[in-house]
Amino acid sequence: MTFFQDPEFGDRIITLMAALVLVLQIAAVGQRWLASSIRIFAVQSFLLAAIAGVIAYFNHASHIYVVAFLTLLLKAVLLPWLLEGLVERIGIRREIEPLINAPLSILIAGCLTLVGYVVAESFYHPEEASVRAALGHNTLAVAIALFLIGFFTMLNRRKALSQVLGLLSLENGLFLAAISLTYGMPLIVELGIFFDVLVAVMVLGILVFRIREAFDSMDVSKLRKLRE
Amino acid sequence: MTGLLAKAGLQMVLLLLVAPLLSGIIKTLKARLQTRRGPGILQSYRDIFKLFHKGMVIPDTASWIFSTTPYIVFVTAALVGLMIPMTTTDAPLSLFGGVLAVVYLLALGRFFLALGGLDAGSSFGGLGSSREMTISAIAEPAMMLAIFTVALAASSTNLSEMAKVAVSQSWKFLAPSQMLAFAALFIVLIAETGRIPVDNPATHLELTMIHEAMILEYSGPYLALIEWGASIKQLVLMTLLVNTFFPFGLSSDWTARGLGLGLIFYLTKIFLLAGLVILVETTNAKLRLFRVPELLMVSFIFGALALISTFLF
Repeated sequence: MTFFQDPEFGDRIITLMAALVLVLQIAAVGQRWLASSIRIFAVQSFLLAAIAGVIAYFNHASHIYVVAFLTLLLKAVLLPWLLEGLVERIGIRREIEPLINAPLSILIAGCLTLVGYVVAESFYHPEEASVRAALGHNTLAVAIALFLIGFFTMLNRRKALSQVLGLLSLENGLFLAAISLTYGMPLIVELGIFFDVLVAVMVLGILVFRIREAFDSMDVSKLRKLRE
Repeated sequence: MTGLLAKAGLQMVLLLLVAPLLSGIIKTLKARLQTRRGPGILQSYRDIFKLFHKGMVIPDTASWIFSTTPYIVFVTAALVGLMIPMTTTDAPLSLFGGVLAVVYLLALGRFFLALGGLDAGSSFGGLGSSREMTISAIAEPAMMLAIFTVALAASSTNLSEMAKVAVSQSWKFLAPSQMLAFAALFIVLIAETGRIPVDNPATHLELTMIHEAMILEYSGPYLALIEWGASIKQLVLMTLLVNTFFPFGLSSDWTARGLGLGLIFYLTKIFLLAGLVILVETTNAKLRLFRVPELLMVSFIFGALALISTFLF
């Protein structure tokens, strides 16, 4: 089991898991069922926690273990549980047709991934070619792609709950970028972000429920009626 | 020369024997997972044997295309099987550009199957043919992109060479581009073998059937050849998937020990992949026909991203 000490093995595993996160994100763009979208988000968060764990192991940075554990607890268990409860309560299980149809959305998601790679390319300096630099480069591209696709999901979907999911995957992108570039921010910053996300989801959940109560729908485009 | 013939013969026997077994196992396990009893594992062998001893009904409108199609379907699938490394990295038929030959031999079989469906003169056949062609028009480019990604990583279009490079690199072969290519090829596998989100192999419902609609007019030995050919094609595609992405246990020579070990590893990998396919089939509902291009679009995007990310990494 010598390769458990080999940093290159760790690097491969991290890149592989980051790629899996990306695959899930693109699959989520074409997804119509809210419950499936939530589950995809949960698996994604689980993978992010695993990435954080692997980084902590290979860099002997014990504070990242805490971050990994918190990610697992909050994003892979608590948030999906809250959101699924919300779906049960409002009884709407499907996203209506998004603004841009599914094949085109997936194509756009693919293009956004390319943008992510092109942007990450400019951070890459081959003259400092060490394992660390390569790791930052590969996962940074995936992180930027996650960020952009999350943003696109927020624009594209009409249901408030799908938009919350877009926001969460956007946040996952930020988390991946932070952890792959800097090997973890100070713990206090991470804790701040976690509670920020938790509170945001809770507030948005209540908001979604209220929208549903008032308009009999989660379709945010109906909110325009307030003006008339 | 005799060595080559022996290799080809051995692989052919393996191919012909394992393919119906795999179909049988998939059917049985799927039934068990849905709490049905299901047919026995050996049912596919019995079906093929039974069909070979039955008479045939040939439509009046049918021409020579109808009667040559079963042979072409069977032979192309078997030929592709000889090109792909199964238990050893050294396939009997290894050509320069073998990847292209694999894609186009499968396309040739599919083309003739679609023609055969039209030739029988029933409206269902034409319906199935047009659906099959619609799906393959997107599945084929996705498959090519995914295979080319692997070919690029190994810098060879010869499948034996690709397998050798993959074995020599062991876990270092696992890169994001391979991951994306695997995802793309898995969706193509589902579409090409007519499995549930795309087509339902267990039903003759006219609204949804694709593969079954094309072969509706075939009976007796012709049907046996087509069914056998389809199961070989399924085995070949799954072999391609497991041996290019997870090359563990492929032996490098044709010695008895290497072959035995390779066979054990090979069967384990194939049945694990079959398990994955069964899980996908059981947990998903069949997609509406107009939604199928969306699924294949996902696979196409994965393939394209895989190819592009090989250059970027």
